[in-house]
Amino acid sequence: MGNEIFVKPASTTSAAAGASIRISRLEKRFGPVFAVDGVNLDIAAGEFIALLGPSGSGKTTILMSVAGFEFPTSGTIQVDSEDLTYVPSNRRNLGMVFQNYTLFPHMTILDNVAFPLKMRGLPKAERHARAEAALATVRLGGYGSRRPNELSGGQQQRVALARAIVYQPRVLLMDEPLSALDKNLREDMQLEIKRLHAELGITVIFVTHDQSEALTMADRIAVLKDGKIQQIGPARELYERPANLFTAGFVGEMNFVDVTVESVGDLVSVRLPWGETWQLPPTAAVDAATVGEAAVMAVRPERLRLGTGAAGQVVKVTLSDIVYAGAAMLLIGRLPDGTELRARIPGASQLDALAPGDVATFTVPGEAILLYRGTRR
Amino acid sequence: MKPPTDRGSLVLGAYVYAVLAFIIVPLVIVIPMSFSQNDYLAFPPTGFTLKWYAEYFDSRQWRAATWLSVQVAFLTAICASLIGTAATYAMVRGRSRLVTMFQILLIGPIIVPHIALAVGLYLFFQTIGLSGTVAGFVLAHTVLTLPFVVFTMAAALGKVDANLEAAAMSCGATRFQAFRFVTLPLVLPSLASGALFAFIISFDEPVVSFFLSGIRQKTLPRRMFEDIEQNLTPVIPAIATLLIVLSIAILLGGHALRSRSKTQSSAG
Repeated sequence: MGNEIFVKPASTTSAAAGASIRISRLEKRFGPVFAVDGVNLDIAAGEFIALLGPSGSGKTTILMSVAGFEFPTSGTIQVDSEDLTYVPSNRRNLGMVFQNYTLFPHMTILDNVAFPLKMRGLPKAERHARAEAALATVRLGGYGSRRPNELSGGQQQRVALARAIVYQPRVLLMDEPLSALDKNLREDMQLEIKRLHAELGITVIFVTHDQSEALTMADRIAVLKDGKIQQIGPARELYERPANLFTAGFVGEMNFVDVTVESVGDLVSVRLPWGETWQLPPTAAVDAATVGEAAVMAVRPERLRLGTGAAGQVVKVTLSDIVYAGAAMLLIGRLPDGTELRARIPGASQLDALAPGDVATFTVPGEAILLYRGTRR
Repeated sequence: MKPPTDRGSLVLGAYVYAVLAFIIVPLVIVIPMSFSQNDYLAFPPTGFTLKWYAEYFDSRQWRAATWLSVQVAFLTAICASLIGTAATYAMVRGRSRLVTMFQILLIGPIIVPHIALAVGLYLFFQTIGLSGTVAGFVLAHTVLTLPFVVFTMAAALGKVDANLEAAAMSCGATRFQAFRFVTLPLVLPSLASGALFAFIISFDEPVVSFFLSGIRQKTLPRRMFEDIEQNLTPVIPAIATLLIVLSIAILLGGHALRSRSKTQSSAG
């Protein structure tokens, strides 16, 4: 080994280009269980992709297959059109950051960061110089002589980041790298990683179960469930128009009401559980609506308006909780049929008069409503 | 007013000291006996002499037996730590369903009576001509000492995060390099302490050695039993004293290594 591992010349100014990644018909079976079930994913060079899903959705298995720690049952993984599907992990030249830092406890920070260069046979002086530079990139210059246990969690994860980028790989894989950090630190690190991504031009695959993290960081997000990609797209698209009920419920907060489709024409009319009929714009139907079939109406809590001032459907809600949540008030109540409804209303002044038990009137703008086939119950 | 006396803890304390005394008294008796002027075993000892130590060091037979035991113990320590580490690594990291069976086989020599093992080895080694050879002793003692290496290493390897090796491999290390540069340095103190255990267990192992010893090739414990049968002079307590000192030194060394490994793994 050694000589086939490619080390780019040291340079801190010019951005190293990322590699494109093509995952085709990837399948991983553990006995009868499909951990990954026919995943296709094209990632452009320099793109930041988040794999988002609940535990057991297959997101980590996909990442581990790209990293070379799992070999898929079938399918291929190409990096810059080179087939890496069954190449051992140590020959893939991909940077990897793990959830629990995984720094080598018996080495100094500098030796930790220089380790990939040592494996590539670089002379000591050069690998130390480049490790110093990588530490400076993650704003930890001067920490080289310390031991991992002398650093905080956030600092340790930045060292792990430096170690993953020190040999200027073209792809950076991250397996829930921030989930062990507390909230404030996590937000700092999100920005730090974004900055690094912009600076290095590296392709990033980022696994997370935290949807706000995925929305904040990634160019595109692949939402996974049961080993299948549910939807892939930029944050805005995912949030504004989830492709199916699962994504709608998993990404962000969402209110759901079971309805029945009554007619489909210039407007889609649906009957609500408490007997009212609402006319919705045809764009509301994410899935094609069929007359007589059950459907689910979805609305984001922050799209609801208090009172009847705006255009849209009007709904009466019996409030059960009024929660002060900083930037907005969270109102929780029940619709006439008992379905729970959440509303996030900015500006607290108009809410002073409301108390739990009151009946509040909300307006639901037509363009805020999404309609899916199926049922929540 | 005094706090009430806890009778239970008094009894427990007395019991603990009784157990300790029971363990230590024989040692305390052996040591003065080795300096006794009588040329038979006597307690309390009379006078003071170092002649039994001189006799031990002057005797070619004693020296040969000691040298054989040192050789065997040294090679056993090396074999047991190499095989034990590799086997434990497979047990701790392996996903095979055979792991449990493997585990039982490895720690089996602790459960099986040594005499049964000795008879089996004796018959087998007679047939293949390993009886009374260094290789024969080393093989037999490696089997006996493996469980001790496996126990120490299982605890140590279990504490090393498997993801550390994955991280090393993602850095470009081969599986072996990941072990060599990451795992091994982290478990080295435990490995050394396991090797020390193997050394001391092999060094004073009597039962298997009794069966495997030839007319010329005798380990120290075997030679001591012979002397007890024939002469029973205070050379025996003299050697016993030397062995006690050696064992204590090795145990303290092992303890120091293990506590070092603890501070290091807590550093992780």
